[in-house]
Amino acid sequence: MSTGRTACAVITGLGAAVRGLTGPQDLLGPLPVGHRDEADPVSRLKGRGLRYKDRATKLGMAAAADALRAAGLTDDNGGLTVPGESVGVVASTNYGNADTVCETVQTIAESTYLATSPMMLPATSSNVVASWVAITHGLRGANLTLCNGPTSGLDAVNWARLLIAAGRVERVLVLGVEPDNAAVRHVTGTPEAPVAEDPAAVPELFDGAVALVVESAASVRARGARHLAAVGPYARRGDHAEAVAAVRSRHAGRIGLWCVPEHPEGVTAPAAGLGTGAGSAPVHDLSALYGPASGALGVLQCAAAAVWLDGRAGGRPDDAEAVLASAGTGDAGWDDASAALLLTGPATVSAGPGTASPRTEAVPMESVGGIR
Amino acid sequence: MSWIVTGMGAVASIGADVEEIFDSLIAGRSGLGPLHGYDREKFRAQVAYEIDDRPAPGVDVPLRATRWLERAVAQAAADAGLGDDLSEVPVLVGTTLRELRSVELSWRGGIPFDAADLHFGTMLRHRFGAADTHTVANACSASLYTLALGADLLDLDAADTVVVAGVDTITESTYGLLDRCYAEAPDRVRPFDRERRGMLQGEGAVAVVLRREADGPGPGSRVHARVRGVAVNCDAYHSSAPDAKSITAAVHEAHRRAGVRPADIDLVMLHGTGTPLNDEAESSALGTVFAGLSPSPYMTAIKSMTGHTAGASGLHSLVAAVDVMRTGTIPPTVYLDDPVDAVAGFRLVRGGTVRPQEPLRLAQIDSFGFGGLNAVAVVERVADEALRHPMHPEGGGK
Repeated sequence: MSTGRTACAVITGLGAAVRGLTGPQDLLGPLPVGHRDEADPVSRLKGRGLRYKDRATKLGMAAAADALRAAGLTDDNGGLTVPGESVGVVASTNYGNADTVCETVQTIAESTYLATSPMMLPATSSNVVASWVAITHGLRGANLTLCNGPTSGLDAVNWARLLIAAGRVERVLVLGVEPDNAAVRHVTGTPEAPVAEDPAAVPELFDGAVALVVESAASVRARGARHLAAVGPYARRGDHAEAVAAVRSRHAGRIGLWCVPEHPEGVTAPAAGLGTGAGSAPVHDLSALYGPASGALGVLQCAAAAVWLDGRAGGRPDDAEAVLASAGTGDAGWDDASAALLLTGPATVSAGPGTASPRTEAVPMESVGGIR
Repeated sequence: MSWIVTGMGAVASIGADVEEIFDSLIAGRSGLGPLHGYDREKFRAQVAYEIDDRPAPGVDVPLRATRWLERAVAQAAADAGLGDDLSEVPVLVGTTLRELRSVELSWRGGIPFDAADLHFGTMLRHRFGAADTHTVANACSASLYTLALGADLLDLDAADTVVVAGVDTITESTYGLLDRCYAEAPDRVRPFDRERRGMLQGEGAVAVVLRREADGPGPGSRVHARVRGVAVNCDAYHSSAPDAKSITAAVHEAHRRAGVRPADIDLVMLHGTGTPLNDEAESSALGTVFAGLSPSPYMTAIKSMTGHTAGASGLHSLVAAVDVMRTGTIPPTVYLDDPVDAVAGFRLVRGGTVRPQEPLRLAQIDSFGFGGLNAVAVVERVADEALRHPMHPEGGGK
């Protein structure tokens, strides 16, 4: 059974850069009809220097600005309200810079290295999104990019919590971003043209970014900030049922919502291939809503969970009600592994001294939600 | 808290294991050679520090980085007595370019590539049964970043043993864009030399097994070195130009975490890429950190022989530092003939190896990457006494 000690990190701000969404509050759907034809969220970005940034970076920057502002970490002028050293970045993206790599190698083949632009060099390195977000906002704490396959987004949220628990930073901007372009469709084997079974439809891929701010409870109290949800136990295992069982063993409360993994055969509650570990909670399939989201999925799930939990705060007596997020199907779906993460409502955060400043206090092992 | 290195493995252009690489470093043997992988007519630069394992010149094959990583992890795991079963051990892999070379081959040449192989967890699961694996794409500081993260996992009691690793191959896109950046094509990596022209990439992989010192070395019973502290930060300044002030902060933090003063550092394994901006930022930061110390710590830059192995470079330097402290022999920075003024006060090893009279006890390892990602580690030599009498009685030497 979980206690208040389980929540050593909380979510204090959300941002989304997805066509058709007016903001992160819409993440749970449904999407408006024709959402793919809505304004491109990167059009929100202003200023110089955008020309040489890839789509993933621009999507990430749009979502990051909103999340930092929502958390109160930036003011009306965009300036940081906390020391830059106290803020880390963890980005999750599996395909973010595939377009730069593919376009550059094509250019070299056709016209030699002379036809390339040296301005593109930093974008060949897969950390480009996290770095530009840090540069834009002066975030000088630990800066990580996870390219970890289907589980990457949930792994990123957990690494944010670990960076806080280890005392390296007090809050972390977590980004999940994947662009939809020709290179990503090539790598993922997703047709760019209509498919034979349904000539009117082109398979969708997620094209966007979601951001959330993970912060120590002590920091939230010190800033007088409001939080939406708490980050609970996490596990990464070879099998989906094992990952779910591992987090459930540390939180036995009711699962109010299950955000399911992407699955090659689609997920209907709960898919046979995923085993019985997830129980019979109501299923929310964000990949079905937005298209396969790969490294963005876990962050998308956690942001949607925060919206769902925040919407129920104070409305129900059952504080132990949690959202289960799981990504990667592990053995059942031939992914390399599966990750599971529980998120709980704001009321589960202890107000006691057990979640004081992470720089000076050891975080209880149980609260870290072991990575092993 | 401190952590011990109980296993090491590495591959690079200058050797197929830790011992061979160090022998090459001591011999001043460089891995520089003619460019093998690509059509040389497309580039002005014609050389790199490649691992020569392609089927024929100009004929490239996918998943080379994955195979090197597999070898390095297998070496380190065997060295630590873990065998091939890493099912209970987190494996953190630092990289700049992942398997993006395979993506290039697939995009332009139609060579089949499975998206699942972009991250290294797929191989690690198949080969070692490892399920808790993380591909950390943190540019050229990536493997020292994973060292910091691995130490944190041990610190937080989230694992008892961790494998941290680094790997990189050369992508054609990065090679071409680097070629576009410099006034003249580099003909070799010449850190801190007036004739430096820029950086050339190297290939390789490296892995280290890490445990809490209080727990002892585990099944392998060997202790190669003690990790005293690892600092990480981000310049938040520029996508490719480093910030000396931020690097200085990272070095100071590494010393603070290690509980040492600048005067305690005997050896600095320089990042030393041979690019003017990197060299100037690093020399400026070290000038600040070691101000007033005469002589300075010994310093050397092994990229002059390995090339810039990118995400693997930080741990490549760390593994070399362990052997330097063990043998008391410091390899030279080759091709450093005419040092720039900024390093005039530094005790840079050049020309040939140096064997100081005094023992080398503490090494600082620098590692900096695109996007201003900095990681600095402090590693300590383990006394011979500790090697003869493993701290943990369960260490059976299997």
